[in-house]
This record gives sequence, structure tokens and C-alpha cells, in this order.
Amino acid sequence: MVDITGQYMLNLLLNGLLIGVIYALMALGLTLIFSVLGIVSFAHGEFYMIGGYVVYFVLQRFTNLHPYFAVLIAGLVTFVIGFIAERLLLQPLAKGEIERPAEYAILITFGLAFFLQFLMIAIVGPFPKKAARFFDLPEISTDILVTTATTLRIFEVPLSGNRLIAAVTAAILISATIFFMAKTWLGRGLQAVSQDRQAAAVVGINPLKMNTLAFSLGTMLAGMSGAVLVAVFSWVPWVGVPASGKSFIVIVLGGMGSMPGAVLGGLILGVVESLGAGLIPDPGRALAYKDAIGLLIFALVLLIKPTGLFGRDL
Amino acid sequence: MNLEVRDVVKNFGGLQALNHVSLSIDKPEIVGLIGPNGAGKTTLTNIIDGVYKPTEGEVWLNNERVDKMPPYQIARRGLGRTFQVTRAFRRMTVMENMLVPALALHPGANRREVEQKAYEVLEFLTVEHLANELGRGLSGGQQKLLELGRLLMLDPQFIILDEPFAGVHPKLQEAIYSYINKAHSDGKAIILISHDMDSIFTLSERLVVLHFGAVIADGDPAKVKDDSAVIEAYLGKDEEEDEDA
Repeated sequence: MVDITGQYMLNLLLNGLLIGVIYALMALGLTLIFSVLGIVSFAHGEFYMIGGYVVYFVLQRFTNLHPYFAVLIAGLVTFVIGFIAERLLLQPLAKGEIERPAEYAILITFGLAFFLQFLMIAIVGPFPKKAARFFDLPEISTDILVTTATTLRIFEVPLSGNRLIAAVTAAILISATIFFMAKTWLGRGLQAVSQDRQAAAVVGINPLKMNTLAFSLGTMLAGMSGAVLVAVFSWVPWVGVPASGKSFIVIVLGGMGSMPGAVLGGLILGVVESLGAGLIPDPGRALAYKDAIGLLIFALVLLIKPTGLFGRDL
Repeated sequence: MNLEVRDVVKNFGGLQALNHVSLSIDKPEIVGLIGPNGAGKTTLTNIIDGVYKPTEGEVWLNNERVDKMPPYQIARRGLGRTFQVTRAFRRMTVMENMLVPALALHPGANRREVEQKAYEVLEFLTVEHLANELGRGLSGGQQKLLELGRLLMLDPQFIILDEPFAGVHPKLQEAIYSYINKAHSDGKAIILISHDMDSIFTLSERLVVLHFGAVIADGDPAKVKDDSAVIEAYLGKDEEEDEDA
């Protein structure tokens, strides 16, 4: 049994928030896709996986490249793959050419997930890879804050430098996405289509173009989440499967289609998982319960408030 | 300006919603489109604005065939509409609602000028004080006005108004009257669908009557009003007359 002190709780809380920001970034992409296209993409985790691999290989090949450039390249690659996938596989759905659209959406995105996963196994093999640390933290030493190249201690609470960098990068990307949605014409166009497709069309917006943009941006956000995490976790071609599961929990918790919901849901899931696992009396088994806690939240939200925190009426 | 519906048929499975409907508008006039419930009025507007594709027949807008085009392309060619049940973007502010069509049509437009124009339209509709309210926070009548304002931002040549007075407070109805008269004097052609006969007869210069998906009268409202086929469609056939026949 661990000693539950204020410092220990703060540790759990901060670590939960760090991982929660990344959950939020990934879920933001999924919720964007859902809100505009009206489908749940089961291939979301595979774009996350591809984003990580792109960063790993780009940094291997160009060792002097700034890691943020690699993250941007990962975003670009996943955007392009998402663009092609939407045009080839999902446009027939949006054009009403598919007889059973609900089943088609599930099967085609599942198919895409398997295709990308096995394609990646064929290309990179099944063995884990991990990118080097993006950069060292600057060394600071004050009463409150002490940092080394790899660790940050705030009020004596240690945080991994790698996770911190990933979370800060994710927070920047979330802010950029929110700015894009709220302040640009394309963002408003996406919002309009997500709120009322027919009304958007009769005021001159091309909903099909918005579908492609939403899917590509959504896959880009998934890719960039993977890109910032490849220096934190070992990367294998099926790394996206649990990540995708977390995104589903987050968007159900936050409310399907709600961007603020995805951000808040991500943070809540990160903190609850961290606190839940940290407070389980047997530390040897605590980590194993982490995913179960997320799924418990998923089940409770569906039972008690199926629309989630900010969801639309069902 | 020219809008032409040529011999349009629309079937939904075994149900024929429109039966060889033709209609032509080539000047800025207010055309009342009336008919009993289920006559095909909304189906016809959905055909004109591209939401439905006709089973047979054609729709031409300014000498261009548009019946195979999606709604957004028809909107960009100068045809705007409102819906029977209002469709404001509920999670956007009134001002954001107003900006969407203008920016869709002219993405490079000067934002400040567009906002200024939007504000003037809202002022004309007497709802400028609601500019920062969310669409979902408006009353039904205010949402109708917002939809009308949003339509003006498209600056269409042809406007289809589907039940603009339904469920609207009399005070807001006045704003809608002014809107229609102003759009008309600005050279726009308006198709007005309404069950409010007072408004229809006050505003319309021409009346088209649909019944069971077919046009049964088209012309001067005063004459159409006395047309026996129209009276029959609305009041039903006299049973004694029926027996005599």
C-alpha cells in the first residue's frame, strides 16, 4: 500500500493532466470527423500509429532536423492519407450512393484500420521502435522548480520531461485547432455543416468539400498525437488500437461531436485513470486496472448521461 | 432573370408528389404558391433548389440547366430559400450565422465590410440587438428573421420563402412584410409559400395553385381566387353537384 500524501496526489493529478492533454488532441480529431461526416472512424488509431512512425523515421534519416518539423511532416502525411481515404472510400457514402450507409461506415473504416495496420507491419516489421527524446529540458533550479535534462520537479513532484514536452506540444496543437475552427472561414464552414448540412448547402457551402477537409484534419490530429508520443512510448504497428479506444471513451464522455467536450473529456479521463490507478491498494496490479477505469467511465456515461457533458440531444 | 420549371415529375416510390409541373418566372415579381396540405409545394421548392432531383423534367435558372446540380451550386447561382421549420445554425451567434453565406460565396471578402453589411441587414430586420446571441437562444420568430437575414447575405435574385409567417408574433410579421417588400423593390423575384391567405393575397402579384402535385391555376390572384377548380381544391366538391354530375 502506498502512502497517500498531498505530494503523491499532486503527482497523480499532474501526470493525469499530461496524458489527458494528449487524449484530448486525439479525441478532437475523432469528434471533428463525427460532427461533420456523422460517422465514427474506427481507423483513427491507425493514423495515430502512422504519425508516430513518420516522426521516428524522419528523425532517423535527418538527425539534425528539429523534432517539431518532424511532427509537422507527420501531420502533413496523415492529412494526405486521410484526404485520399475520404475521397476514395467515404465520398460515395456522402453522395448517397451506398445502400446501407450505417453498416458501410463501420465496415469501411474497420477495413481501412486493418489495411493500414498490416501494411505497416509489412513495411516496418513488428518490433518496437522508440524515437529519441525531442529535446532536453533547460536546467533550472529554484525552490519550487528543479529541472534536469529529462525530468522536471515541481514542489518535489517529479514529471517526465518527455511527457511534458508531448503535452505542451499537444496543448499548442489543440489551441491552434480551436482557433482555426472559431476564427477562420473554413472553420466556420465546418461548423455550419456539422450543425445543419442542408442549411449550409443552401447558403452556398459545398458539404462534400467540408467532409474531405474534416476527415483530413481529423486524421492529421490523430497523426500529430502519435507524433508527439513516439518519444514517450514504444511504437508497434498495433499501438493505435488502445489509443483509439481511449478516444472513443473521451468523445462519449465529452459528448459526441463536441470539441470543448473532447478537450475536457480528455483531461478528465487522464486524471481519473491516473488517480484511479494510483489509489488502488496493490501497486503491483494498479496499472492493469487503468484501462478498466476508462471503460467503467464509458459504461457509466452511456447509462447515466448518453449525450455526454456537452453532447447534442440524441 | 429567368427561372423555369419544365414539366417536372417527382415520384417517391409509388407516390407521385409532382405531376408534370411547369412554372416560369422572368421578372421581379412576388409569386404566391398555395395549395392544400400535401399538394406538393415543399417538394417543388426542394426540386427548384436542388435538394431533390426530379424524376422527369428540367429546371433552368438564368438559361442554365440546374436540376442536376447540388444545392450549394444553385445557391451560388442566385437562388436562396428559407425552410418551413427554421434552420438557423443553432450553436453559432446571430452574427456568425450571417457571415457564413457571405464568406462561402466570397472567401476573400473584407471581413469588416461583410460584418457591416450583416449588421445593416439585422438592423433592417429589427434584430440587431441579438447579434451576439446564439441561434438556439432565439424565439421561433426571431429565428425566422435570422434565416431571412442570412438569405440576404447571399444576395440572391430568386428567393423562396416557405411559410415565413407561421408561428411568428404579429410584430415580427411586420418585419417580414417589410423584408418581402424591400426585396421585391430591390429587383428580386420571390416565391411565397404560405397558408396565411391574408398575407398571400396582400403580397402576391401572381398566384400559383398546386393540388395533388399539379398546377391547377396560375395568374392574377383576384381571378385565381374565384377559379372553380381552386375553390373545389380548398373547399371540396359539393356532394349534390357531384350527384347531379
